[in-house]
This record gives sequence, structure tokens and C-alpha cells, in this order.
Amino acid sequence: MTLALTGHGVSRGIAIGQAHLAERNELEIGEYRILANNVDAEVSRLRDALRTAREQLELLSDRVTRSAGTAASEMIQTHILMLTDSSIGDAAEQRIRDELCNAEWALQSQLETILAEFRHMEDEYIRSRGEDVAQVIRMVQTELSKAGTDRSFDSIPDRLADTLVVTTELTPGELALLHERGVAGIVTEHGSPYSHAAILASSLGIPAVFGVRLAHSLLTEGETLILDGRLGVVYADPDDAFIEHYHEIERSTSRFRKSLDEIRRKPALTLDGEAILLQANAEREDEIRLAAELDSDGVGLYRTEFLFMRGAAPDEATQLQEYLVAIAALAGKPLTIRTLDLGADKTSEALDFSLLRSSMNPALGLRAIRLCLRDTDLFKTQLRAILRASAAGKVRCLVPMLTSVHEVRMVKTLLDEARAELQIRGQAYDPLMQLGGMIEVPAAALAIEDLGYHLDFLSIGTNDLLQYALAADRVDEQVAHLYDPLHPGVVRLLHYMFAACTETRMPVTVCGELAGDRRYTRLLLALGLRSFSMHPGRLLEVKQVILETHANRAAAALAHWLNLGAQRQDVSLLRLLDQSQK
Amino acid sequence: MISSTVTIINKLGLHARAASKLVNCASGFSAQVWISRGEREINGKSIMGVLTLAAGRGTELGLRAAGSDEAAAIATITALIEDYFGEGE
Repeated sequence: MTLALTGHGVSRGIAIGQAHLAERNELEIGEYRILANNVDAEVSRLRDALRTAREQLELLSDRVTRSAGTAASEMIQTHILMLTDSSIGDAAEQRIRDELCNAEWALQSQLETILAEFRHMEDEYIRSRGEDVAQVIRMVQTELSKAGTDRSFDSIPDRLADTLVVTTELTPGELALLHERGVAGIVTEHGSPYSHAAILASSLGIPAVFGVRLAHSLLTEGETLILDGRLGVVYADPDDAFIEHYHEIERSTSRFRKSLDEIRRKPALTLDGEAILLQANAEREDEIRLAAELDSDGVGLYRTEFLFMRGAAPDEATQLQEYLVAIAALAGKPLTIRTLDLGADKTSEALDFSLLRSSMNPALGLRAIRLCLRDTDLFKTQLRAILRASAAGKVRCLVPMLTSVHEVRMVKTLLDEARAELQIRGQAYDPLMQLGGMIEVPAAALAIEDLGYHLDFLSIGTNDLLQYALAADRVDEQVAHLYDPLHPGVVRLLHYMFAACTETRMPVTVCGELAGDRRYTRLLLALGLRSFSMHPGRLLEVKQVILETHANRAAAALAHWLNLGAQRQDVSLLRLLDQSQK
Repeated sequence: MISSTVTIINKLGLHARAASKLVNCASGFSAQVWISRGEREINGKSIMGVLTLAAGRGTELGLRAAGSDEAAAIATITALIEDYFGEGE
């Protein structure tokens, strides 16, 4: 009969294999009195054990750096610091001298004192560090009892493939050793999801369920286990159909991961060697983190509207704090911050824009940069926050929905004023921070060189540009069918823009939905686009198309299509682009 | 003796790795180093002390050092904290 045991899934992933019960000798810590003239001997017994435990950890640290990486080694470094902390060694020595007790007991009562302090901590993560102290002290006690050599943990088989180790609890060092031996999964009775061993299991990708009560008594050596780290469940003695079900899940996830992993590491190059920049559109920290993990080239569009939709308009310090979080999450990759893009479909209760509300036609009204140039206090507060963030990392500033060169000049004047204000305050900023503009207005698109002349880079917001060019709101289902990126007028418009950018060597990115839609990736490459910005979840699938595209051949096919004249309507552009690749 | 204040700015606060770096850094000086949060003051060379400060992001800490290299100790510890403990976040 199948038995299901629950605990904390500390590391996602599935493992199927045979149980190995790692018996750990539970130490019996007894208290006994020592004679006054034996105190010095007992203290040196304590000191020897501390030193031996420390030497073992240092050896282990060297070893796991090679097998499990620096994260594991740093956890062991924390244990080493704990071992050498005066609140363990010195305090235990004091207890031996004051209470004339044995070293094991002195450590035990000191541990209770320390744990009592940790239990008070509000922060669950810090509270879990009490487990680390307990593990470290147990190591020293094991040394003292000379039980260190016959712990059955050392008798664990050398190769653990297809083996799930079941144990009472685990130190990071032990976990690293199990990893070295290829363990399939881990089940422990104790240990919180915040324990160092749990964090390490997760970072090494070892499926693990911690805190399964009585696992050691309820599970049997050699029986088949299924461990589901996502659900935090361990199934013992499952029937064949259940095992097959899990095998299938395991196979499909590993296939999926493998195909993505293969792409993830590859540089984004077309078949004819054009290097493509892949950036992410992101605002939430987890999106930014995902963008960094997927080896993207940074964030090409960081929206700031969310800051203004929480209530009162955020002050400079609050904005700066958010930008710094994003910079940190990107770990050195550039962050393109778009200034406030409110209006039309996005409004904020926080801002009393009576002008905005009275607008008859919000999509064509006072929105985005138009709004910011009206409320210059609000805009300059944001510019100062962005400038200050630029001192902390690679930051670019992007202004949405530019229509005229006059607007660019006004933005630059305000930016100069913001810089001067920071200088007076003595606050740092990057004097070379790049300023870019979003092209979403069709007239601006056809005058892209004029605007580009005054800017460091351009970004094309295809959502609004297409909506304005086609005079169709894609959200309005009555006219959504008119919203067609392949309309010859749209393709011509885009073609004109990219040709102008190529000619003037103006860096240009597409950050609208089109950039993240793999159906149009080949078209954008044919148009000459070399920089994409999209939802991070789309990065890999778009990259896959890039890796399979010959950009020059696609460009030739597009030129052919543009020259077809009125016969174009009979030829599918996308099919033509695909055929050009063969 | 000199003293100053510094604010924790890294995302995870004084978690184990950051605390270890702080203790290692403080232990490199001969000066005594104390770190305080509100009323509570601990030995800056003790990992247990630093952990139990439970200083998350945004916490302001007091630094105090006494000894021949006290100025360098304060400056180096401050720089470490302001550099996000070298973790970039």
C-alpha cells in the first residue's frame, strides 16, 4: 500500500529511487562532575575538540568549493566562524571552570542559552540559524565522545545514483558530500526550509523534502520512494502505474529543461553571424531576476507606472529605492528606465489630472510625456531619482511617446535643471547617462532622423504605433481584426524607420508585443532590427528563431515582397520569409 | 574611540553570508568593534552577536571602535556594508 508523507518541499524537482536510511548516532549527552584539579585538562579537551572540528570544516570547505560551488563553501565558513565565536568556546570554558562540569555538558547548556536567544527572533530566517549553531555544537560533542569515526554517515555508499537518502537531519557539509556521490533525492525528519542545507539543496537542484516527521521509522531500507519536491510529499511503495506517471513527468520536464538550457547558453547569433541584443521588459523584481538568469542583455523597458498606482505619488527617495533594487537584481547589466507613461488606458488615483479626465479622446490626449511636460514638478522628481540611480549602475532614461523635436528639447532642459539641483545637493549621478525616446506616433516615425539626432537611442513601441497607424484599437473586438502587423502600410512604415536608423547609425530597439512574438521575429530581423526587448518569458523562444534565421536572406525576401506592388496581397510575407531560409 | 552610523542596504540584510563577511572584516583589525541596533550592542567580531541583530534592509546600525586602527576599522566596515557586501544587491 502506498504511504504518503508530507514535509516541506525545499527544492523543486522529482526523484524516484530506493530508500537508504542513513542512521545517525544520536548522541547521549550526559552531565558529570569533574574534580577541581582536572579543570585544565577538561578545558584542553574542549579546545582540542573545537580545533579538530574546525580543521574538518576547513578541509570540507576546500573540497566542496570544487564540487558544489562557493555558496556551499560560504555556508561552511559561517559554521567555522560560529565554532570560533567566543560565545561557544569561551563561554563553554567558563562553564567548565564555574560549574565543574564536563565539556559535553558545558556545550549543551551553552547551546540551550544561545537557542533561547534565537527563538526570540522575529525573522524566521534568523531563527533558523539556531539550527546551524546546534549542528556546529553537535560536531564538537561528537569529537569529544570520539564517536566521530563510526558514524554511519561515513559508511554511506560511494555511488548514490537512484538512491534517496533518508536521515534525521543534515548539515550543509554532509549535503555537499551526498551531492558529490550523486544522490537522487533527500528526505529529512528535521530542518526548516530556511536551513542552510535546504538552501544548498535548492541551489544544487537536488530534489528534497525536509521536516518529514518520523520518516526514519516509517520508511524501510531499500523500498521504492517517489519524492515530489514541488508538493513536499514522499510516497513510499507506490504501485507501477503511479511510478510510470511520475516517470513521464520526470521525462517531460527534463526534455523541456534540456532544450531551453541548450539555447540559454548560446549567444544570440543569426545563421549569418549577426549578433542580436535580447533584453527584457520588466518591472517586478522576479521578472528582472529572470531576465538576469536567462543571460539576457539587461532590461530594455523598465516601466515605472506601478510606482504611481499605489496611492500618493512616490517621492524621490522611494523611487530611487525601487530603481536601486532593479539595478541590484540585474547584477551589472543595463537598466532602461522609462519615465511615467500614464494616460489613455492607464490612470492613477494618486494624481489629480483634471485635464486628463476631461479629455474627449484620451489616446490622442494629454498622456505620457505630454502629461509630464505639463506637471514638471512630478517629472523632475522622477528625473532626479533616475539620475541618482545612474550613479549606482548602468542606467538609461527612456521618454515615452515623443511627437516633436520641441518636446525633446524641453526634456533636455528639465534634465539639465535636475542635474544642477543634484549638484547643489552634492548628490552623485552619471553625467553620461544616455537619453532615449520612444517612437509611437506615426508622424514621429516618419521623422525618426529628426528626433534621433537629439537622442542617444530609440525604442519603438509597436503597440501604440500600430494602433495609431491603423486607427484600430486592438482591445476593441469590433475592430481588432484590422490590427494587422503585416499590413503593407505598417511594414513600409517599419521598413522606413529601420532604414533611417541604419543609415544614421542610431541604436534602435523594439519593445512592443511584436518583439516577443516569435511569429514576427524573422520579419523584424529582415527589417534590420538587431535589438529586441520583450517579456522575459519569451526570450528563449525568440532566441530559438534567431538561431535558425539567415538575416540577409530574410532581408532579400522582404525587399522582393516590397517591390511586388499590388500583387503583394496574394503573397504571404511570413511564408516568403520562411521559404527564403531554405 | 570613534563612532558612526550606517544603514543596511543589501536586499537580504545581515543574513548568514553578509554577517560572516562583516565578522571576518571586523576581525581583521586589532581595535575592538561594537555594533548596535537601538539599545542592543554586540561584539562586531562575534557571528552569533551579528546574526542576532537581525538587521534587515533599511536598518540603521551604530558602529563603535576603539584601538590603534579604529578609524580604518570603521571606514572598512562602512564600505563593506555600502557595497552591498560585495553581492551586488
